[in-house]
Amino acid sequence: MDKYFDAIVVGAGHAGVEAAHALAVCGKKTLLLSLSLDSVSFMACNPNVGGSAKGHLVKEVDALGGLMGEIADRASLQIRMLNLSNGPAVHSLRAQVDKSYYHRLMKSRLESTVNLTLKQADVSSLIIGENGIAGVCTAMGDSYYSSTVILATGVYLNSKIITGNYQKNSGPNGFSRSELLTANLVDLGLPIRRFKTGTPPRVLGRSVDFSKMTVQSGDIDSYKFSSLTEAPVRNDHACYLTYTNSTTHEIIIANLDKAPLYNGSISGIGPRYCPSIEDKVVRFADKDRHQIFIEPEGADTNEMYVQGLSTSLPFDIQEQIVSSIQGLEHAVITRYGYAIEYDCLDPLALYPTLQVKSIAGLFSAGQINGSSGYEEAASQGLIAGINASKYLDNKPGFVLRRDEAYIGVMIDDLVTNGTNEPYRMMTSRAEYRLHLRQDNADLRLTELGREAGTVDNARYQRLERKREELVKLASLAAQNYEPNRFVSLCQDIGESLPKSGISLKELLQRPNVQIKDAIKYFDELKVFRPDTLQYFQNEIKYEGYLLKQEKTIEESKRMLEHLLPSDIDYLKISGLRLEARQKLNMVKPLTLQQASRISGVTPADITVLILNIKKKLK
Amino acid sequence: MQTIVACATPLSTAGAIGIIRLSGDDAIDIAQRVFILDNPTKTITVPRHMYLGTVCTKYFKDRAFFVFFKSPKSFTGEDIVEIQFHGGISTAKGILRALVEAGARPAVAGEFTKRAFLNGKLTLNEAEGIADIINAQSSAAAMQAYRMLSGEFSKEINSCSEVLLQALATLDCELDYPEEMSDVEHADVEKTLRDAEIRLNALASGSQNRKLLTDGITVALIGLPNVGKSSLLNAIVKDDRAIVSSIPGTTRDVLREHLEIDGFSVTFIDTAGIHESQDNIEKMGVDRAKKAMLDSDIILFIIDLSQKERTEEQKIMAEISDKKHIIVGNKGDIAKYQRRSDIVIEAKNCSNIDKLIELIKERLDLDSTQTGSVFMRERHEFAIKNALMSTQSALAACAVTTADCISVDVRSAYLSLAEITGDTASEAVIDKIFASFCVGK
Repeated sequence: MDKYFDAIVVGAGHAGVEAAHALAVCGKKTLLLSLSLDSVSFMACNPNVGGSAKGHLVKEVDALGGLMGEIADRASLQIRMLNLSNGPAVHSLRAQVDKSYYHRLMKSRLESTVNLTLKQADVSSLIIGENGIAGVCTAMGDSYYSSTVILATGVYLNSKIITGNYQKNSGPNGFSRSELLTANLVDLGLPIRRFKTGTPPRVLGRSVDFSKMTVQSGDIDSYKFSSLTEAPVRNDHACYLTYTNSTTHEIIIANLDKAPLYNGSISGIGPRYCPSIEDKVVRFADKDRHQIFIEPEGADTNEMYVQGLSTSLPFDIQEQIVSSIQGLEHAVITRYGYAIEYDCLDPLALYPTLQVKSIAGLFSAGQINGSSGYEEAASQGLIAGINASKYLDNKPGFVLRRDEAYIGVMIDDLVTNGTNEPYRMMTSRAEYRLHLRQDNADLRLTELGREAGTVDNARYQRLERKREELVKLASLAAQNYEPNRFVSLCQDIGESLPKSGISLKELLQRPNVQIKDAIKYFDELKVFRPDTLQYFQNEIKYEGYLLKQEKTIEESKRMLEHLLPSDIDYLKISGLRLEARQKLNMVKPLTLQQASRISGVTPADITVLILNIKKKLK
Repeated sequence: MQTIVACATPLSTAGAIGIIRLSGDDAIDIAQRVFILDNPTKTITVPRHMYLGTVCTKYFKDRAFFVFFKSPKSFTGEDIVEIQFHGGISTAKGILRALVEAGARPAVAGEFTKRAFLNGKLTLNEAEGIADIINAQSSAAAMQAYRMLSGEFSKEINSCSEVLLQALATLDCELDYPEEMSDVEHADVEKTLRDAEIRLNALASGSQNRKLLTDGITVALIGLPNVGKSSLLNAIVKDDRAIVSSIPGTTRDVLREHLEIDGFSVTFIDTAGIHESQDNIEKMGVDRAKKAMLDSDIILFIIDLSQKERTEEQKIMAEISDKKHIIVGNKGDIAKYQRRSDIVIEAKNCSNIDKLIELIKERLDLDSTQTGSVFMRERHEFAIKNALMSTQSALAACAVTTADCISVDVRSAYLSLAEITGDTASEAVIDKIFASFCVGK
């Protein structure tokens, strides 16, 4: 077995696979190590990809040449666009996927990727050389060498699962955990923390009475994540909606003393956005019911996921809770819910490239960085992979701006301000939300991915085609038409007829005029692809709001151009307030813009900083 | 870049020439809304040329020079306009306000320098000079300005900001949790925003902060006749050359002197000697003295150390005991009695007057480094107006568009107020979402 690689990725979850794939397509000889090769891209919790803000991440990963979108399209059981009642910036795609198929598709894709080797191994320590990272050792005593390593250990570091009084040192779903690596990371001086998350029970589909629930089918319109997906996405499975009730809540309240979250046996910090059912019932006592969705786990299994019922209560209480819910009265639980605690890094230890500040060549991505969610992990994996490749080539890092991508927002949030709970992407975190849409992810990012080396010809050609279409569409929409050209359209949608000549663009600026209506009367529009038309319309509808934000974006970009030397001792800068000195010293921002985003660093501090840096550079 | 404005000269150099500087894309346009050329047929075209004219504000006009520097040949690298006027804090404030009303934004500490740096204009020499000023200001300026706000004012700002946050969290939660928040009523958001609008309107129209924005601090000089109140006032005025004006009181018995102390506008009120009198006119004077005493921020109770304590003085002591006060023992040179006082002075000889000023500052909690705070208030007003405007556009948007668009304006309203309160929006909204709504899987 070959022991020498350009890069080693530790962990083959959603972060690890993207990192390894990105490195391999960049021409780097890559080794991907996993505790179990049966858990490659395993979806340990919910059986879906995308959703609010996460759907944006998947689109961005796809635009940059990542795998998640393609595989999710192929493994889809149902696909829906959420949030259609709001503006297009927050429309989010979500696919229910077949978990097992997703895993198999991803594994086989990686196995067929040039430059990439998969191997089952339990990494126990890192090898540090004179110039930083040099490789990894396994628990069996084997060693592999490389000048860059990406840690993508997910929730597997020293993890412990908890259900009632039952506790077990184990990874999720009975997979083995990493026993030794945390201790080594501590020895290397890395800041380790303990986070917690949880998962609901699964039930047997044929024991569920779906007639008592509301059916939720996929959308009639066909959507897809990846610009490369040509075949229609499978969309024939249903989800079902039911609710908890006062009986459910009484059972939970009566058994709170048995809940590890409340009796003190869980110490890790859990996410607020992913509350257990006991949390919801306690914190929102006035709510008389909570939504429960029953979702398929796969096409060839009868198991179903009970979304909304995450819990670590004892197994018998879980049974009582489940059977108290309408439609689940006779449900058979196939797997009990559990809470899981795990070790992770404080992301303040990272640069925006996801490189560990204190060890050259060591990167980390995914849940180990304090995030949560498959999509968040995949995005970081891709960015870490690109940056590890840049590191090997001795090129500048690949950092996305906050106005460029949700990925940029997430990584900036993590490495600049850290996080006190597992971090989930939310559209509210993006100050340029109206810019960062699904319909322009390719226009925002594919060119950058091309330069980074992760975007292949097929994907790039699709971008070029869209750009060409947009040029044609813009000139078509600028043409002036006589009012009589709009008679049927205006009658159809109940708009008043323009009094004088007007262009399509001007007509589309009216709130009630939609391009999908216009297309019926303008054959010229029919040659354009739907996503081109959609993007074009969205830019028009948001025009006023987009302009409002452009100045702030410009200002923030200028700050970004000013790099800060990494060897500044902020503690010694006189004139800076103590809090600012300490925060700056901890974060060690790469640019002025990042410095200005640190909470506790004021605009005046930035000015003082500017003056001192200027002196230093002189 | 947005046009910013600030006073470029220190505020305490009253009586000399003051310079107000604008920088940004619209600097020339904005300045010309306030500055009128002497020769109306001329236009301002030549950079680095002094134009003579008049600055017109709501309250006064002043002869002034106008000079502009064309981008990129200026301190910040942007278009800069400087208006040179007859100095003094009131003039500076008046012109500054007029410029803000004309569309400029009050600059934050160090903002000109920051722009100069970002545009690659800053040289080392300039940088070193500026550093110290900013260091002094950055430390506590914001805190000081916030402390300067009356309790009611800051309470109102905070509850306004809370109302906006509630609206923002509702909108954002709907956007992030479409499935769980399907029952959100937009009417509720609209109602919340209307509430914010009413509050902001009240704040912007100034019913609550008028005093704060215009009056500054009042110091009342009280005491029996002939204890040396007027001598003290003269001594203070003589000692501090920063006199802006001397306006006689509305009655012959009350005299007001406006001074600047470290950038704060301070009015000293010399009152009639308080004593029992049958004379009607004198009685009126005494009443006014008592009223001045009650309205003031701090009282200087002057006693004559060459005289024994009188019962009338004991009565005054009782009246002022729960107000901020300083007992000033005058005529220290000819003192005959051991009487309790906070400071001993000789008004006639101007002795110990500087110590008295320090004591006033200390008691009023005026930090001597806070030159910028006067303009901080302008910034507060600007922020409130911006918040109001954004709230109004959010309300207008409620009728015609979706939550993602409404949220843009509500966020910008919230961020405007955050400039006063110092809150950071990013986490606040998310905290609020999880505190208010039961969402998440």
